[in-house]
Amino acid sequence: MTDGRPSRPLHWRPLAVLLLGAGAALVFIAVLLRNPTPLFLALPLLLAPVAAGVAGPRTSPTVRISLSVEGAAADVRLSGAVVPEEELDARNLVVELARPPSLVGDRPPRFDYSASEVTFRATWTAPEPTIAEIPVPAVLWRDPMGLVEREVVSSASPLVVSRYPPELLRIGTVRLERTTPLPGETRSRRVGESGEFHGIRPARPGDPPRQINWRATARAGRTLANEYDLDKTGDLLILLDARPTPLGATVDERLFSVCRAAALGLADSFLRVKSRVGVGVFGEFLDVVPLSTGRTQRIRIEAALKQAHLSSAHAPAERCAVSARRHFPPGLTTVVFSNLADDPSEDLSPYLRRRGFPVVVVSPSPLPLVAAASHLTGEDEALANRIAKLVRRDRVAQAWQESPTIDWDDYWSLGRFVEFVRRPRVRGVG
Amino acid sequence: MSATVARAGIRSVRPFSLALLLVTTTALGYYSGLPDRSGLLVAALGVVLAAVLRASPSRPVAHSAPIPALAVLVLGAVLAPVGLGIELVAGAGGLAFLLWLADEPTRPLGGAVRSLPTVAVPALALGIAWSGALFLPAGSVPLGVAGGLLALTLAVVAFLVGRPALFDREEA
Repeated sequence: MTDGRPSRPLHWRPLAVLLLGAGAALVFIAVLLRNPTPLFLALPLLLAPVAAGVAGPRTSPTVRISLSVEGAAADVRLSGAVVPEEELDARNLVVELARPPSLVGDRPPRFDYSASEVTFRATWTAPEPTIAEIPVPAVLWRDPMGLVEREVVSSASPLVVSRYPPELLRIGTVRLERTTPLPGETRSRRVGESGEFHGIRPARPGDPPRQINWRATARAGRTLANEYDLDKTGDLLILLDARPTPLGATVDERLFSVCRAAALGLADSFLRVKSRVGVGVFGEFLDVVPLSTGRTQRIRIEAALKQAHLSSAHAPAERCAVSARRHFPPGLTTVVFSNLADDPSEDLSPYLRRRGFPVVVVSPSPLPLVAAASHLTGEDEALANRIAKLVRRDRVAQAWQESPTIDWDDYWSLGRFVEFVRRPRVRGVG
Repeated sequence: MSATVARAGIRSVRPFSLALLLVTTTALGYYSGLPDRSGLLVAALGVVLAAVLRASPSRPVAHSAPIPALAVLVLGAVLAPVGLGIELVAGAGGLAFLLWLADEPTRPLGGAVRSLPTVAVPALALGIAWSGALFLPAGSVPLGVAGGLLALTLAVVAFLVGRPALFDREEA
């Protein structure tokens, strides 16, 4: 360690070993044959690796790495730059960019080198909603001949990319079942037709017609909407079923990844309008993020969902309900993400209802994943799909008897769920 | 191999260092004394094979490209007779090989130019050695001394390679 920063040692690459081995062999051959010609060839081969080590940076160089992500929905466009902080030729840097496993893309990243920086761009696709962590690119200094290399030091942090159905962006305006004053009574401003009138503002796409101030619009000649102050906020509990199912680890993992992304989108949307959001992940036990609001809560939830993983053990649904009652007050609007692939996963909502949580189940359908992995063709495939659909429909119907259940088969659209929670009369059902 | 991949492979060839390697290696092959000038053909084939391997889109294949070029250089140097001009060609072949290594197609252009400070060190040592061979009286005893010195160099290099931390500079 020098200057408080870690120093990475010099590494000899296999090419350096090849050169040194060939040089050593040539020396012995020259002496054996009493012929100086091999010695003259051996000299550059033996000295080059040492010269490369001496000519390079003598401590780990530091670089500044910037990363940014653009794009929406399935499109993930990563761009960034690596800038050496010392006098170092950036063309001698080797940048390796790792693609997160949940993203796909055939085209390799594009790197543009100049003497002062390395810029890079990568275009990936998220086949389904996901929370992906893009690691900091690995950067090495490597001599131009490729004989020695040394890791560089950077202080960049990984970038988290969350992609979820776009409908979730506006779901926060829905009035939740249990609306309670925030502790401390901090007045929160949010859009809605209840509450104290605050002022008039230009209308935005998605404003309901009742919120448009038609008189003011007629006077101004442009669409204006009323804005209200609300001094109350809603509470939302998001529960993820992380227990294993007979679908197998691969399908379970992908469905769980989709659920995590949707849960983050849901939490994000409600936190933006100052609602309190809590999250529970039920594997063997219930891991919770208690109810709270604000940006810090968003970070807490993102971290919890990023780390959440499928459990390997089956746990009784009652344990989840008892534990949820211990951590959260009853009456919370509760959204349960469960794939309903087996009987135990269907048990979750009745137990939660008995403990006082009004449940809406969002169930990602395994059918698209199962169909994509199927080896059947032609009529056999059509028949298998039909049977699978019937079984699935039956499961969803059974779940509906306990709680409203949304069959989520198009992972990039949660329109049915949003439509459902926005219509109070339908919400009353179940 | 698709046409696009093939075109990208051809574009990745850096002609200057490749030509330099080809000239020095074939010259060494010419002097190697193989019958019917077959040394020249073997050397050229080795370099061409190395260039083809290097243009391959497969990374492990591309990484093995230096082996044939180095093999023909070693073969030429081992079979070549004693002679001051031949020694110089062998040394130049080694330097050309280093410059060719620096022109790695997957890395930014100008690698050979950027490697000049590194290549200058063995070039200087080579110049001193060749000048010594040219101007000093030579015989079997000096060859033994030179061999001993080179063996010592080898030991020093091995020592340095075994302790990469020696290359680190401690900051005050």
